[in-house]
Amino acid sequence: MKACSFDSMAVPALFLFLGLTHFTNCVVASGSHSSSSSETTMHTNNWAVLVCTSRFWFNYRHMANTLSLYRTVKRLGIPDERIILMLADDMACNARNKYPAQVFNNENHKLNLYGDNVEVDYRGYEVTVENFLRVLTGRHETAVPRSKRLLSDEGSHILLYMTGHGGDEFLKFQDSEELQSHDLADAVKQMKEKRRFKELLIMVDTCQAATLFSQLQSPGVLAIGSSMKGENSYSHHLDSDVVGVSVVDRFTYYTLAFFERLNMYDNASLSSLFKSYNPSLLMSTAYYRTDLYQRHLEEVPVTNFFGSVMETIHTDSAYKALSRKTSGRADIKISPDKSINSDLNPTADSEVSDPVNVTKPVDQQCPFTRFMGSFNEKVEKLEDVDSLVNYSLFMMLPLLLLSTWFIQQKLGGPSSSDYEKLQAELSDLQTKYNQLLAAHQETCKERGS
Amino acid sequence: MAELSEVTKSEASEPHEPDSGFDPKSMRKTKPGLKRLVLTVSVLISFILGFPLLWKSVEIYRAPLPFREIDHLSAQLDSTPLLFPCHFQAIFIGFNSGADDLESSLLDRMAKLTSQTPQCGTCGTNYTVSVVVDSGSHCLESRSSKSSCPWRCGALSAADFGGGDDDDEAVDEALESVLGGCSGLGSGGKVYSVVVLKRDEDVRAVVGKYRHAWISGRVSETAAVSRAAEIFVKVFVNGGKEEASIHGEFMPVGADGKIVISFNLLNSDPRDGIYDWDFHSVEDILLAPVIEALKPVASISVESQVLYHTPKSSFSYWDDKWGSFVFSTEDLPFFVNSNEWHLDTSIAAGGRSKILHFVVYVPSAKECPLLLQLQDGEVSETNGFISPMWGGVIVWNPEGCGKVSESKHPVRHPVRHTISQQDLQKVIEVFMGQFRQLFGLKSDNLYVGSSGITNLLASERGFTIWELDVLSRQHACFNLHSCATTLGSLSRLVQSLPRMIIMDEIGKQVEYSLEAAKLAQNNASLGVYDSSAVASRQARSLAEDAFFHPSIMSVSYYSFEHCFAVYSPFFLPVAMHVLLAALREWRRYKQENKKYLAWKTKSKQNILKSPH
Repeated sequence: MKACSFDSMAVPALFLFLGLTHFTNCVVASGSHSSSSSETTMHTNNWAVLVCTSRFWFNYRHMANTLSLYRTVKRLGIPDERIILMLADDMACNARNKYPAQVFNNENHKLNLYGDNVEVDYRGYEVTVENFLRVLTGRHETAVPRSKRLLSDEGSHILLYMTGHGGDEFLKFQDSEELQSHDLADAVKQMKEKRRFKELLIMVDTCQAATLFSQLQSPGVLAIGSSMKGENSYSHHLDSDVVGVSVVDRFTYYTLAFFERLNMYDNASLSSLFKSYNPSLLMSTAYYRTDLYQRHLEEVPVTNFFGSVMETIHTDSAYKALSRKTSGRADIKISPDKSINSDLNPTADSEVSDPVNVTKPVDQQCPFTRFMGSFNEKVEKLEDVDSLVNYSLFMMLPLLLLSTWFIQQKLGGPSSSDYEKLQAELSDLQTKYNQLLAAHQETCKERGS
Repeated sequence: MAELSEVTKSEASEPHEPDSGFDPKSMRKTKPGLKRLVLTVSVLISFILGFPLLWKSVEIYRAPLPFREIDHLSAQLDSTPLLFPCHFQAIFIGFNSGADDLESSLLDRMAKLTSQTPQCGTCGTNYTVSVVVDSGSHCLESRSSKSSCPWRCGALSAADFGGGDDDDEAVDEALESVLGGCSGLGSGGKVYSVVVLKRDEDVRAVVGKYRHAWISGRVSETAAVSRAAEIFVKVFVNGGKEEASIHGEFMPVGADGKIVISFNLLNSDPRDGIYDWDFHSVEDILLAPVIEALKPVASISVESQVLYHTPKSSFSYWDDKWGSFVFSTEDLPFFVNSNEWHLDTSIAAGGRSKILHFVVYVPSAKECPLLLQLQDGEVSETNGFISPMWGGVIVWNPEGCGKVSESKHPVRHPVRHTISQQDLQKVIEVFMGQFRQLFGLKSDNLYVGSSGITNLLASERGFTIWELDVLSRQHACFNLHSCATTLGSLSRLVQSLPRMIIMDEIGKQVEYSLEAAKLAQNNASLGVYDSSAVASRQARSLAEDAFFHPSIMSVSYYSFEHCFAVYSPFFLPVAMHVLLAALREWRRYKQENKKYLAWKTKSKQNILKSPH
């Protein structure tokens, strides 16, 4: 494959190479300030990338999650050609499915998510980290059709929804590979660099989802995850009828519950969505990262991401090439923002805890964990991680040299100087022995005679 | 005993003299062996010799990218915005003042109107003005006038300027025949001209389809100068828009410089009658000239389809005042029913072309006629709207469509209609208005300036020559900037991934893109707007191709740290041992050699002593 071909690389090369990479990294760090996009661009269109990353029947709920979101954004106005749907497996046609060609996200089986007009863009083994990153960055082979491409521009709002199994700073794809948080951050950075979005909402339903956002640094990105670091995201309920698998995850379930009350014309704000998550119902803490996002969440309608409200401009006049007439002119009209519907979530407000203000458990850890904790904190605060890595690589070499020397000295066999010493000792002993032997023989002769 | 001890002692230090103060700790009598040193050093040398070989075999192919040229291009575009040269000519007929006075006052006016910060795609302060005063009997030319086609005295007279509005076309043609074909000061730049005619009439100002405008009537000298300056700066240079530069949303050209215009005729409810159109004739007669005219800016292809059962997703209500169904501007964002309207069926369009949808919506008989009510309560004249970067919608009400529903005859076979040519022409006129709106141009054929209203003549090609000049200039500028930022992003990306393979193709694309950009800049400085636009489009498209090359994927390439982590356990420990062993052997050899030398000097001294 395209793996790095780094055969029996000799030591001098490493010295040389480390120096080089260190240098280039520094250059890049100084030169890679993201070009500020013009703030004047209007929001003109909406895109959605919905990804289910896990295979196998027992992960039924992940596909159901994704299809539910697909149904919601479609209902709220994002057209099919602007939705990239990636499903890692085909539960609808699984032999264990008691309802062939149907997928439900509730045990009441009222709503078939896999009805007509579901356009899956990437299916099964096509859902890979590489393809996912190709979709985001737009680097496709020329043969890839338009429907499989994210053709967003600088006026686009993109919703990126991902669900699957994940852990600390990674999300598993297909049970065989991982999307790491820095891969995601890198792709987002490239998208920003090429002005492929105006605003991006990343929504992740997986265990420790918050960790996936830790590397993001591009402006205009809003991220929400189902759980904090160290927390699991749980499924909502089990459908004993559909061969005993869970059909939906808690985070997605309550997201959908919020959206079921909305239609295209609603102006509910993103903050009302975020407040609707109740940690005791979710059994995890929904985390949202807003430091990269400029607008106030109270002012942003959810339809900015989950729906599509077209920017329209009235056409004042026709271009009359033959009969020149002047016509009255009307003002440009753009859909106005109405007041925010904050009463859509009657239950949730009081119990929501801000992720920043979560009370930490009392510090009862052993000194080592404390030390490691403070060390981790310091590491996280570091800005130029690359150079740190290179420095430490440099430091590794003398350490290694020292330890090899130490092993040879203390644990290895005798050295050549030892050998010389022993040889000298041996010869000394030999002379002594010879002297003694001679003395002995002399005494024997004397006795005998 | 004494003998024996002597013998053994002489045996132990056999080849040497028995006495001589030999110290075994700091001396030795044999030459130190070289075997171990040679062995370890040869292993080390083989490592070192193997290294260049290995370095070559491990090397990653990276086509050399011209980073410096890329930086140079962006720096150049940032520091000096692309300013095109413009040449203006003002001809005053029936005036008696000096040409030089008029020229200086005209220059003064224009400098006031030109914005201080030079905007990309305009002329900035990079323009020349020449003035001709034609007083009937003789002509005066300003000193700076070096036009390649000097004004023929009395070439135009009041008679040529006709009487009323209807003659504008004729006047325009007459001006073109007299003034057309003039190029600027030895270069390829075209000349914009304003003719001012003094006569006893109401003042009219008209901008023609080519590069000429005329002002006729009872104008004073100062008024004429200020109007002429306004036409030069605001209309000919800025295109009659408030802002000179364009934003991304008024740049409806794909990254590969192509536009696919998709025309859709939507029968919302075909049970009430099916409407069809003769699109081929429309395309051949009405659209072909437009596509031809826009060729420097974008290469356009056209496709069309007719869709059935496509209801809109917003609501309308009956309004007695208008005797029709009405939908308001607030409903416009929800008008397009993206789930039922399958507009994007285009396979012709490549990945990065732009598709513009133009929808002609035929409402169902239940809500026909359907009118768009504006905020001030009036009804829209065009019955249409646009969405930037997406396209436009026109609601077309068939003649007498409302009555069909009243007759309440259950029609088994829906009636088939073909939209008449007259109706189609009206639809295409609205479409042209929308298309121009997407490019950021107005279509009301009026320019309202501070010194009065100017009529703008409309061209059958959809865009007048001077409008095309404006578009060419702005798009050339936009494309060049886009190309520079794309290449800049690419160079940053490539430098941040030192282990990434860069294929030759990318190197070529970057190289050609830079060449095209240079060509565009050259053409721009010569004032050849259209070829500058073409070259800049090419530069942008190539830059995008290079940036979006599928071989660039950060996931496919391990960083150096990865490689180090993977391979160091295999090679580092062995290499360290070899290095350390060689060092140690070298040290040992030196030490032992010293001992030997020490003994040698000692023995020499002994030999010297021995004769005693």
